[in-house]
Amino acid sequence: MGHATPRPGTFLVVDDSALHHQMYRLIFSRGPLAGSTVYHAMNGREGYALLAAHPELTVVLLDLNMPEMNGLELLSRRQAEGLHPHIPIVLVTTESTPEDEARGRGAGAWDYLRKPFQPTDVERLIARLQADRAPAA
Amino acid sequence: MDHDNAFGDLIQDYIAESLPLAETVSDAFLALERRWRDGDTDAADVAGLKGTLHTLKGNSAMMGLTPIQLVAHVLEDLAARILADPVARTEAAAALLVEGSGLLADLVQAAADPAALAGGAEEYAGRVRAHLGAANEPVSQPLRLERRDTERRVDAGADATGTIRVDFRRLDAMLEIFGEAMIERSALLEVYRGLTARYGNGPEIADLDRAVSALGATMKRLESALMQTRLLPIATVFGRFGRAVRGLAQEERKRVRLLIEGDDTRLDKTILDRLGEPLVHLLSNAIVHGVEPEAERVRAGKPPEATVLLRAATLADQVQITVADDGRGLDADRIVAKAKALGLEVPSADREAIYALIFVPGFSTAEQISTVAGRGVGLDAAAAAIHALGGGIEVASETGRGTSFTLTLPLTLAIVRSLIVEVDRERYAVPLSHVAETVRLEPGSLHEINSRGVAMWRGSAIHVADGGQLLGTGATRTAPRNYYVVLFAGPRRRGLLVDRLVGHQDVVVKGLDPTLGRPDVVSGATILGDGRVACILDAAGIVALREVA
Repeated sequence: MGHATPRPGTFLVVDDSALHHQMYRLIFSRGPLAGSTVYHAMNGREGYALLAAHPELTVVLLDLNMPEMNGLELLSRRQAEGLHPHIPIVLVTTESTPEDEARGRGAGAWDYLRKPFQPTDVERLIARLQADRAPAA
Repeated sequence: MDHDNAFGDLIQDYIAESLPLAETVSDAFLALERRWRDGDTDAADVAGLKGTLHTLKGNSAMMGLTPIQLVAHVLEDLAARILADPVARTEAAAALLVEGSGLLADLVQAAADPAALAGGAEEYAGRVRAHLGAANEPVSQPLRLERRDTERRVDAGADATGTIRVDFRRLDAMLEIFGEAMIERSALLEVYRGLTARYGNGPEIADLDRAVSALGATMKRLESALMQTRLLPIATVFGRFGRAVRGLAQEERKRVRLLIEGDDTRLDKTILDRLGEPLVHLLSNAIVHGVEPEAERVRAGKPPEATVLLRAATLADQVQITVADDGRGLDADRIVAKAKALGLEVPSADREAIYALIFVPGFSTAEQISTVAGRGVGLDAAAAAIHALGGGIEVASETGRGTSFTLTLPLTLAIVRSLIVEVDRERYAVPLSHVAETVRLEPGSLHEINSRGVAMWRGSAIHVADGGQLLGTGATRTAPRNYYVVLFAGPRRRGLLVDRLVGHQDVVVKGLDPTLGRPDVVSGATILGDGRVACILDAAGIVALREVA
């Protein structure tokens, strides 16, 4: 059985790598996600500001390791301030340990995306999050 | 290796992001090897480097660049072992780190060319695995979350509060627009001058005068602000040389220490991009031909380890780069002999002029000179590249003490302060950086010697070439030549006969259509205030021309 197809939406990518932003740009401009709106932040601080400004976000893809507020710090602050708790945040990691993942979930990460990833990994993940939220929508 | 990968189109982005990381790692392992050799086996910085390797591995994996991923992977394992076990901090391990990180940087640089990736990686990985031994327990450790905070970032973006990354093409586009504004301002100025001439100094003219000069001042500030955004630290170029110098010195069986100074000096990115190759030529020459074998150095009472200095410094609106070695120096007698053999005109006793012969095209490429006279291949190419950047190159040398090359470069290529001259009704821009003086031609001051024009300038005879003949309008010569412009590059001078001096202007360089003008005397084109296209003269090229009427 094939995977559910994701729908275009509004996404926020928080990552300090210009290369990764280009990769996300490709992913969100082709295939089933084509037509999405994507906001880009180069660090956690910019990311937090964009999150606050865009309650309509479908999903946030948040890199774990960044200068200027890393992924966990962003999650903790968001939890403390109760900012848009309805928006799913996905933590993007490399080889994180189970402890890291537990800390991430504890801080409010909905899911994980592990690097290296391919476009289909992102599409599948977003389809899954959209399906989870479908009844409420 | 194919690029049949979802992210294949991003290969240049991958290189742009990964190469500085790979070079940082490579430089750090070089420093580590040196430290360990001196008995200090501290490995505190290895944790950060391991994180960088991890990032490189991940990026390469996403790009489908398996050989690069493999090299980064085994380097990461090796780094992890060294972190965990001080006993593993051996010379052999350091050599593997240096070799592997060098390979990694080479592979990243060549990532766009799949064929280049084929060799080396597997073989190297095999040796690292053998080194790590049969008891190959999992050595990867969990990453430290804060690792990137301590990473040294070579690129200009995203390291401090308030910085953003901007695609360089956007800066180019802004400059393009600024150039158009400058042309429009020149047009406005011409109208203003016309009005002043016709109506004198009425109150409206005074207002216009104020507005025009305020606009000029603001444009100057805008230009300066715009230029600041284009400057990058020269460390992005210098950073590549540690590895290259070490490799070459090893090949030559010489001990060479590379001393880098002023690598925070900033230059326009366009210039930085074209600076690597000439500097490699100069460094290679220093190591291969300048530096003596160790035994010879010791006999001469010098330290066995040679020093090659690479230094950058800003001087007003220019950047000076020095490449100096403490080797044997140039051999003036051999250079003179070689020049005579090639049928070149040999300057009299002036040492500097004799040394400058090594930049003459074809001179240093001759095989004898590279092995005998002490200076080798590629100096003419290096000089040509520097001239093409609107810069100059000079050499100084002292027998037994060493040789130093001094490069003078403009901060930017985008805007050139120029003298506008007219020859046969065509206008040309002459970069002021190469203008020594303009001289009104007095009757009888120009002599003809061997059918070449010669004038006395500041006590010495200089060759004066006809602008029209040089630029191809001489056949339809219509106007009298009233002036000559004394151009200089390094120690050389040459006069250029022109009809009229129009004035000074900052011109925005447009690329040159290759069908326009002679490439050896024209370096680019610009648009003047009246909308006319003018060629920008390659002053250094003109000064260096050998056959001129």
